[in-house]
Amino acid sequence: MGESRCFSCSVRQAQQQTPPPKSPQGRPQTTHFGFETISEALKEQRVGAVFSSVASSYDSMNDFMSLGIHRLWKDHFVRNLNPGRNPLTSSSSQEQGWNILDIAGGTGDIAFRMLDHASTINHDAHTKVTVADINPEMLTEGKKRALQTPYARSPRLKFVEANAEKLDMIPSNSIDLYTVAFGIRNFTHKEAALKEAFRVLKPGGVFACLEFSKVNNPLFDAVYQRWSFGAIPLIGQLVAGDRDSYQYLVESIARFPSQTEFSDMIKDAGFLVPGKGYEDLTNGIAAIHKGVKPAEKSL
Amino acid sequence: MAPARLATSLLGTLRAASTRPAIAWRQRCLYHSYDYAQPPPFPPAESAILSCAYAHVPSHGFTIDTLKLGARDAGYLDVSTNLLPRGVFDLVNYHLVTQRLALQNNVQFPEEGEQGNKMGVGAKVRKLTLARLRANEAIIHRWQEALAIMAQPTYVPVSFAELARLADEIWFLSGDQSVDSSWYTKRATLSAIYSSTEMYMTQDKSANFVDTEQFLDNRLQDLIKVGGFVGGLGEWLNYTGHSTINLLRSKGARI
Repeated sequence: MGESRCFSCSVRQAQQQTPPPKSPQGRPQTTHFGFETISEALKEQRVGAVFSSVASSYDSMNDFMSLGIHRLWKDHFVRNLNPGRNPLTSSSSQEQGWNILDIAGGTGDIAFRMLDHASTINHDAHTKVTVADINPEMLTEGKKRALQTPYARSPRLKFVEANAEKLDMIPSNSIDLYTVAFGIRNFTHKEAALKEAFRVLKPGGVFACLEFSKVNNPLFDAVYQRWSFGAIPLIGQLVAGDRDSYQYLVESIARFPSQTEFSDMIKDAGFLVPGKGYEDLTNGIAAIHKGVKPAEKSL
Repeated sequence: MAPARLATSLLGTLRAASTRPAIAWRQRCLYHSYDYAQPPPFPPAESAILSCAYAHVPSHGFTIDTLKLGARDAGYLDVSTNLLPRGVFDLVNYHLVTQRLALQNNVQFPEEGEQGNKMGVGAKVRKLTLARLRANEAIIHRWQEALAIMAQPTYVPVSFAELARLADEIWFLSGDQSVDSSWYTKRATLSAIYSSTEMYMTQDKSANFVDTEQFLDNRLQDLIKVGGFVGGLGEWLNYTGHSTINLLRSKGARI
């Protein structure tokens, strides 16, 4: 996070909650790691360590922590995006299928759902998904799982190790749909990632993000905070044998900007946002944010 | 129409109360002024996709495929239909809103003057309602799909709010200036008449929809009859009540 961003960020956060005092001007190259403030260079490394350590137990942990609801969120997310081009109803046939880029999708949760939806609902056998993740352990987990699906050896599914802030291997204006599910809060520079998303998307392409967000109802929020700070690190300790990683997880959720703030960040990156810009899931525990890259005509 | 207030004032009040939050959410400005242009109802990109998709409605109906075709025509991709958070309902809503706003330009009333036979408010309401129904002609064979979408529980409140706005627009354009409780009953009764006539129109096979026109006239006639009866009943009760009291007073009762 650059000097000016860091300052404006801390000002914004001071308005809604009182964060631990920081020195915005003194040490410019710092960022959050949960509630800790660490140097930027370290964040990528430490997030990497967190996900390397949870990769193998990732799915069962998600089930325990969200009581299985994360599957409903992901299903809703994919169904709502309705990926795939139905060959029966589409008139022009100059291109077939969508080109989907799933960022931070190492374990393939979203990718397999996308391909299933495209094949079974829209009868589309051409939609492609590129799964990108910064973490090789998570990608290995995803490749292992892909063997259980019909897409393992097909050209429709591809795994790439990449940093979402520098997607050099993806050409500009080449992607129909950019998705990131429960990943963007771990990025060191969210603005840079949004800019990169804007670059790789075709005009008219969609940025879609499923991420933890802020609960609106204060009563429910109290229960939720108790659950996330009391139960989740404990479950992490018992099931995955790693308390610190899950402590980081809940802190990073609490750190993530609110629905409206994040929606404004998407707008600032140049996207058009549909309606109010986000959709709350389960009272705002998670939220779906979308942005559409404007087509040239309307600019 | 004013005497109908007894019968339907309760309904009118309820409907007005239920539509209020939706109206407040949509309008940025809380008052209407001729000095300020109203903002366009849809943002430019949404408007481009929806207007292109609207042209495909007669052939493809109110479906997601229509939206995708529209997005293609507007220079967008299939995936860009995600710009419309409510999907196909946004297309239905587009039809409702654009046709409502088109009323003020499409319907002209002859200037009064020559023989001094000015068009009454009732005749204006009839003309406007008919014009709004005629705006459905091009897509009437697909309108039942739209009604089904509007009847989905999520969209029912929004659809009723839009119906209320249409009734309000018609009464406003016809020059009605009532400020009593008939404000509510007028809008409630017109909403009921409009929606039933529209439903009738989806089944109407007659040439140039003459049957629909007849149906509308019959309903307006009913309204006048019912209104007259309720008004008469009210007057009779009022007269009889007062007479009884006066009679009792003349006999020395302390009332």
